[in-house]
Amino acid sequence: MIGAVNQGKSVIETMLAVEAGGANGATSGSGGKFLTFTLGNEEYGVPVLKVREIIKVMDITQVPQVPDYVLGVINLRGKVIPVIDLRRKFGFAAMEHTERTCIIVADVDLPSMRVMMGVVVDSVQEVLNVTESEIEETPEFGGRATTAYLLGLAKVKDSVKILLDLDRVLGSDGQLGTRAV
Amino acid sequence: MSDVNAGGPDNELGAFIADPELAGMFIADAADHLGTIEATLLKLEKSPSDLKLVNDIFRPFHTVKGNAGVLGIASIEEFAHKIETLLDLARSGKHAIGPAEIDLVLKTVDLLKLIIEELPARAAGQPVTDTSARRRELMARVDELISGTTPPPSNKAGFTTPPPPPASNGEGDRGKGPSVRDEQSTVKVDTKKLDNLVDMVGELVIAQAILAEDPAIAGATDDRLTRRLAHVRRITSDLQRDTMAMRMMPIRQTFQKMARLARDLARKFEKPCSLTLIGEDTELDRKVVEHLTDPLMHMVRNAIDHGIEPPAERQAAGKPIAAEIRLRAFHRAGFIVVEIADDGGGLDTERILAKGKSQGLVPDDAELDPADIHQLIFQPGFSTASQVTELSGRGVGMDVVRRNIEALRGRIDIHTERGKGTTFSIQLPLTLAIVDGILLGVGSDRFVIPTFAVQESFRPTPAQVQTLQGQVCMVQVRDRLYPLLHLGEVFNIAGARKRISEGTVIICHESGRVVALAVDELLGKQEVVIKSLGEMFRNIRGIAGGAILGDGRIGLILDTGGLLSLVGKTTSQVAA
Repeated sequence: MIGAVNQGKSVIETMLAVEAGGANGATSGSGGKFLTFTLGNEEYGVPVLKVREIIKVMDITQVPQVPDYVLGVINLRGKVIPVIDLRRKFGFAAMEHTERTCIIVADVDLPSMRVMMGVVVDSVQEVLNVTESEIEETPEFGGRATTAYLLGLAKVKDSVKILLDLDRVLGSDGQLGTRAV
Repeated sequence: MSDVNAGGPDNELGAFIADPELAGMFIADAADHLGTIEATLLKLEKSPSDLKLVNDIFRPFHTVKGNAGVLGIASIEEFAHKIETLLDLARSGKHAIGPAEIDLVLKTVDLLKLIIEELPARAAGQPVTDTSARRRELMARVDELISGTTPPPSNKAGFTTPPPPPASNGEGDRGKGPSVRDEQSTVKVDTKKLDNLVDMVGELVIAQAILAEDPAIAGATDDRLTRRLAHVRRITSDLQRDTMAMRMMPIRQTFQKMARLARDLARKFEKPCSLTLIGEDTELDRKVVEHLTDPLMHMVRNAIDHGIEPPAERQAAGKPIAAEIRLRAFHRAGFIVVEIADDGGGLDTERILAKGKSQGLVPDDAELDPADIHQLIFQPGFSTASQVTELSGRGVGMDVVRRNIEALRGRIDIHTERGKGTTFSIQLPLTLAIVDGILLGVGSDRFVIPTFAVQESFRPTPAQVQTLQGQVCMVQVRDRLYPLLHLGEVFNIAGARKRISEGTVIICHESGRVVALAVDELLGKQEVVIKSLGEMFRNIRGIAGGAILGDGRIGLILDTGGLLSLVGKTTSQVAA
């Protein structure tokens, strides 16, 4: 079962697709290639151009004085990068990491600079071509759900993918630690 | 807004905005050249008839003008051209250089620096200093000087041109250094790329060390394998030395800034003095050089304002009227030492002690030896200047200097002799990229504390741990009580030992303050490459960065100053 995901593609295949997507995944309008992943029962997508690589969960060094969804930092071949738990960030119940848990390493544009960040997700699915016509404007939900993070909702193959604007999701975490201990 | 865009959009910056790369190069180049010009001017001031020096000023000046022309920045070109006219006459011997000319060109350099520094802001449409009046004034001065209708220069009475420095310091020869160096073939590299390279080489050095210490290899008896490994080690250490050298730069530019400052201050305070520079070629890590400028400026100011006696007093004491300040940089035992020495009155021990008592820094009945008293000048809020002047005496002097130097992982010492003068010596590490650290364990987490911050470590007895209202707060070491910080608790680390007497206590110091750190265990010494945790974690208190440890995990590097600010925040579930 290791590496096998929903569409029967392995993580390796998905990673190769990510690399290929980087080469010709330029988006026109809001459509383009998205890397899809799951959190609980929901399916999400992020623009593949933002994704650098997908790695297995590794030893994460905790950093003090940060919100609980910031898991800490990892050593990515000599680079120190922060890792965010998207489950906790979105208010899902915390879950033990499984063999399908992955870290998506992405480029995030902060107001001042571009940084690499890792995002922990339940499992990575595939690289998906989404045409502009498949993307629906985000409806106003009201209540708890925040729509500021969303690029839109895509209806592909009978399922709904929630397309995320990673810069918005992670941008507000650009600088932590200003709060008192 | 400056005059050039008074009539509409800033149309002379078209090319500057269109080509950011060229613009960046222009600014960097101009800063280099203006620095060289400034330094050469100070030499010219001492030997005004040296036409070679005039030439050395003319050339870079011409380059700056030309570059501004290429970018189409007419206001700079026009201004520089006018001043250049004067320099041109001077280098062909048709106009004699005097104090007025030197002054004029120095002011020009200052103004050009300002204009060029503000170019990016101007390009972004932000308001900048209006320099048009000052430019016109200087350009008018050129005409006055050339036509010979020279009004007396604004040279203050009482300032004497410093005597030429003794030949023994070798400055005369080195003066020709910069212009020769400019012609060497060099490549400009983005400092980020360079820092990356240094980082990676640092990792390589550590990886190599870990490999060599691996039991499978350390115990190997195969000669060939040992030989090959030794070869790798040699290459690695050569590579490290060479990459480190790339980040090094001579302290010359910083020293030259001091020369200019000393000249201006000597005039201002009417205390003639000469500044002697020794060891300008000593190389330091680029970052160290950058952060050393402010403390040095402060100390040069102090030396002239407080250190040197007024001329009358010097005469009465039988000293030469012109004081001597010596800036010296050299290597000593794996460190770089920068010394600033004056031949002034020395520190007034009694006055410092009296001041310290009146400021409440020491108890009234305290008996301190002179060395301890001298340390008082590094206390925040301490200032003996009886009168607040523009440049010193605001009480934010030496404590800031010490903080800046400690931030560079250096230390500062004082040697002073009443009536003879004072020497401050600053000891700095060769590089900031690697730190010698002690590895600590708390729960399953690993931390690194820089060795220089650690005074001692021990396992305390329960009796040594002092509680206050049932909460652990202090540890007693040989009659002294230190505030205690339980790392596991302030950082909320799962699995940390709750009993302090079962772990280890480390006494660390920073800026004269001391804190005791309770951790689970000491794991050993290790050299680590300091890595920034990035923008996201910039404001985390008590953490200076991260380091990649032997097993590939990241250990957080502790920042003693930040830890001090956490003292007293929590302590509830810890027992002695």
